[in-house]
Amino acid sequence: MLFALGLCLCSFINAGAQDSTRPELNLTVSYFMKDNKVIHLLINTKAKIDSKFQPIPNTVVRLYLDKAEDSLLIGKVTTTRNGFAKAVFPVSLQSAWAASPNHTILGIAEGNKEFDEVSSETTVTKTRLALDTTTSEGKKSITVQVLAQTADDWTPAADVEMRVGIKRLGSILSAGDEETFTTDSTGTVTVELKKDSLPGDEKGNYILVARIDDNDQYGNLSLEKSVPWGEPLVVDKNFFDQRTLWTTRYRTPFWLLFMAYSIVIGVWGTLVYLVVQIVKIKKLSENKSS
Amino acid sequence: MQAATTTLTSEQITLDLLPQKFGKRGMIWTGSLLVIALIGAYAYYRQLKYGLVVTNMRDYVSWGIYISNFVFFVAISLVGSLITAILRLANVKWATPLTRIAEIIAVSAIVFASIIIVVDMGRPERFLNLLIHGRLQSPIIWDVIVIGTYFFISLLLLYFPLLPDLKLLIQFKEKSGKFLNRLYRFQGSFWKGTRSQFRISDRAITILCIIIIPVAFCIHTVTSWLFATTYRPGWDSTNFGAYFISGAFLVGAGAVVVAMYVFRKAYRLEKYITENHFEKMGRIVVLLSLLYLYFNVNEYLVPAFKMKNAESAHLNQLFTGEYAPMFWFAILVGMILPICMLVFRRGRKPVPMFIAGIMIVVGAWFKRYLIVTPTLLHPFLPMQDVPQSYHYYFPSWEEWAIALGSLAGALLVITFFARIYPIIPIQETITEQHEKTE
Repeated sequence: MLFALGLCLCSFINAGAQDSTRPELNLTVSYFMKDNKVIHLLINTKAKIDSKFQPIPNTVVRLYLDKAEDSLLIGKVTTTRNGFAKAVFPVSLQSAWAASPNHTILGIAEGNKEFDEVSSETTVTKTRLALDTTTSEGKKSITVQVLAQTADDWTPAADVEMRVGIKRLGSILSAGDEETFTTDSTGTVTVELKKDSLPGDEKGNYILVARIDDNDQYGNLSLEKSVPWGEPLVVDKNFFDQRTLWTTRYRTPFWLLFMAYSIVIGVWGTLVYLVVQIVKIKKLSENKSS
Repeated sequence: MQAATTTLTSEQITLDLLPQKFGKRGMIWTGSLLVIALIGAYAYYRQLKYGLVVTNMRDYVSWGIYISNFVFFVAISLVGSLITAILRLANVKWATPLTRIAEIIAVSAIVFASIIIVVDMGRPERFLNLLIHGRLQSPIIWDVIVIGTYFFISLLLLYFPLLPDLKLLIQFKEKSGKFLNRLYRFQGSFWKGTRSQFRISDRAITILCIIIIPVAFCIHTVTSWLFATTYRPGWDSTNFGAYFISGAFLVGAGAVVVAMYVFRKAYRLEKYITENHFEKMGRIVVLLSLLYLYFNVNEYLVPAFKMKNAESAHLNQLFTGEYAPMFWFAILVGMILPICMLVFRRGRKPVPMFIAGIMIVVGAWFKRYLIVTPTLLHPFLPMQDVPQSYHYYFPSWEEWAIALGSLAGALLVITFFARIYPIIPIQETITEQHEKTE
């Protein structure tokens, strides 16, 4: 009996303890570099609530370069309703950034009523991308080289998976047959362009993209280059100049204008005539009384 | 009527048909309508203050009870052209006592159709943008133009036949009071009743009767095109113009029958609105009910025979689903039962006619709700990643209050009109009386 009572008490205390357990905030800091120049950090906060990851908005996150010191503060951001925030690498930390080939980005999410303070680290090796194009015997090739910084030089980075392709609306169309490509021992990927006759801009230019996504060592890198390999886009400028039912009010079809105005003028002309008749009736009365 | 009025003198007719002060019942009726209209005005104030969020209209059902009410008002307004214009042009004399009732119903309905559209806009101060930035390609602009035109024609058609009566009203200064007499003088003191004035007036009325018919057809056809030019299940029909017009004629005739009964009772007009009028209006209502039923069979049976995927969800909801009780109520009460009642001579007596009229009007209101709402809940693309409340629609109390307030407002216009002006044309009744005795 006592044992059973103790068991109940234990489970009650345990349940109470479980109830008071706060969900753990999950913080990730991702490193992005575009065209070997612009660096930004993407912060994401989420938590497992009701067995499902939910974005956590309004979380204040401090970002530091290597150590949590005020002098190395990259920025302080607050997550949006989707649980994301973005921070641009400040110019003031340029010399600290240049001092070493490897850095750690430290993110600290401040605690609040719902969550305890959490931190997250991302280690990055400084990397550079180079994109070159060649055309030989009518075949077009794209060569991308990945160079990682060492203590005193830039060395080729082997076994790095990346996407090489043509920038389309919202995505990258792979230049070759595979979706992704991996660098060889020289840090190079060469892809023969298999997509012919793709539409470019009005001059036939489109943008080639080399992109490394979520690499543990190098982060997220992308490089773009415009090439005149596409088919010039012929924009039908006359389309919007047509007088149609779906264009603006200034391009109403003539037949509709004619019909509408004829009806409106016909009907309202008659109505004006009838109003004049009222005036006429009134005048007849004045004549009679005079 | 003919038999009953042969012994009536002009003085007797004038005294019988002059506007009367509200009695106790009239005061209660007017007070009740004012209260409902004021509640509606308060609900609209809340909508103006907080925005359209006080309604239950969301991304999918963006046309709710307001647009149903708008279509209902536009439908009722068509009666002006039926009773006044078509019967007048056809030289149907028995309809004379009903013309003014029909015209004031038309005017009040078209006024509140316009008001309810502005209510639905959410931002009334932007109404002028419709005219300033409107595209002539849009059926909405056609609707704005045609509603304005129909309103003006209806006003003229109300005004011209009123001129001879205004002269009579001015003569009864003591009965009408100072204020009303001043109003009558302002509106019609210039009417002397000369032959040339009558000639101009009669010609104007004939022109109005001719012109109102195509405009009335336009107003309801264009309103139907607001739906039919949109590619959606339930609206994608080439039949919609005729379907709407037939429905409008029916509800308008139903409303006239109800008004005939109420005015006959309230103002003791049995000598002028006789059982013969109910008998003849009953025949018209049966014809219009059959016509509307025919278009309904077309509108529902043909798509139901094909049961295309997008249409089937909509039709199943109407036939056997969530909206089935309302749908069958509208069909049975709004069409089939009135036909069954009025097809027999006994059914065309005043009381059964009044009941049938109420059934037609109530059924017609729900029919408009069914035309608007279920279709909006069945878009071609699936409703995904939206709050659960977007999947259903039931009007909020503010929407009900505004809709009922607008109905009360329309009835108030008719009530006040009947208080100020003769609801049966006095001069025309006297003239017809003289023609008969001669």
